[in-house]
Amino acid sequence: MIPVSVITGFLGSGKTTLLARLLRDPAMSRTAVIINELGAIGLDHELIETSDESFVRLSNGCLCCNVRSDLVLTLGDLAARRAAGTVPQFERVVVETTGLADPAPILHALMTDRDLCEIYTLDGVVATVDAVTGLATLKRHAESLRQAAVADRIVLTKTDLPGAQTAAIGARLATVNPGAPVLAVVSGAIAPSALFDCGLYNAAGKHPDVHTWLAHEAAAAAGGHARHHHQDDITTFCVVRDAPLRAVTLALLLSALAENCGADLLRMKGIVRVTEEPDRPAVIHGVQHVYHAPVWLARWPSDDRRTRMVFTGCNIRESWVRSLLDLLDAEVEDETAQRAAGLAAS
Amino acid sequence: MNVNLAANADNGARVREFLADSLALWKVDGAVETGVLPVVAVIRVSSGATVWVERPAGHDMPCRWFVRWRSPGMCEERSRPCASLVGLLNAVRGALGVERGSAVRIAPAPVAA
Repeated sequence: MIPVSVITGFLGSGKTTLLARLLRDPAMSRTAVIINELGAIGLDHELIETSDESFVRLSNGCLCCNVRSDLVLTLGDLAARRAAGTVPQFERVVVETTGLADPAPILHALMTDRDLCEIYTLDGVVATVDAVTGLATLKRHAESLRQAAVADRIVLTKTDLPGAQTAAIGARLATVNPGAPVLAVVSGAIAPSALFDCGLYNAAGKHPDVHTWLAHEAAAAAGGHARHHHQDDITTFCVVRDAPLRAVTLALLLSALAENCGADLLRMKGIVRVTEEPDRPAVIHGVQHVYHAPVWLARWPSDDRRTRMVFTGCNIRESWVRSLLDLLDAEVEDETAQRAAGLAAS
Repeated sequence: MNVNLAANADNGARVREFLADSLALWKVDGAVETGVLPVVAVIRVSSGATVWVERPAGHDMPCRWFVRWRSPGMCEERSRPCASLVGLLNAVRGALGVERGSAVRIAPAPVAA
């Protein structure tokens, strides 16, 4: 499987600088690059030094709007050319979005296209945030906030410039996305290993990065707040349950979240203790209404065997999710008990 | 938790709180009131529609929830039985004309190399 990483970030936040610098690292030598630029005359690709064969510029519009026709076809074409030997045997793909892109549709395409899923796997989302203007951008532009909210890694750029608000914006980002490490960089200088192979599923076959996802929960346990609510109604919270969930309850939960939250549920990740498989946790990961099929780990990654689910969304109340889960759980248990009683009576 | 929570009339307050949060989630201006059993919740929204959520008594009932509603301009009340809480939410959304979300889509699980 070839990992695909998405680099996103608002206009001028340093995506291209970061990518250009990353591609100079020998560890990135076998990387195919897809850059999405708005407008007929894109410039970003001129700033990237990589092999022409494994570089694709998409300038027909924004990826998040034309993702089916552009990104899917492009990735499929790259894979075919790789198999035919007409492009280098790249081992990674990096997609740079436009500054106005909503990453969710891009993630959906990477998660759901059947052909792509046989070749590629979503590695993670890296979001760049400008340390000088980022606070204002996060406040004024919903796109910027959503990009930061769904990221697995946040790169704080331009931290060396006068006026950089590194500490303040770091604190702000910790509320927008407490599970994502915030990495301050200068001129895009950062090791690829800090950004890649550390998302949901990595090529080395390691466990999903559950501990990082749940950093927010750990912070809460250490005395912080379990819930972060922002002026813009983006909320991040962690639901923890001691008792296991039946598989059908989990399925109903995902259905209810998809049908009722829609695009307001930006991202959800979790590790779940399922009644039917108590020794093997299920890892779930969703973007809006699209979820990966649960991945069953061989064992629990730590002694903590509680179900823990982290939700990031707009206008979603923690109390709604908790009540939904409690009521579904009770309903399924009640139904199960009734059926058992019916079987016993017959 | 009591396994009969969903079936218990005492649980009405939790259901009403949940439905009130659901209205906020759907960005619907309205309120949820207590009803007379078997009605556990009455939803009144600013558009004038009213939704009654019933919890039929007895374990031999074929449905777990029953939703009735009336909107301005409707000649007669409409109703829908629901087998689960997920169905209940769908019915209430439909009664209030709320278009939200999509059916859940499960993507193939990635296989680590």
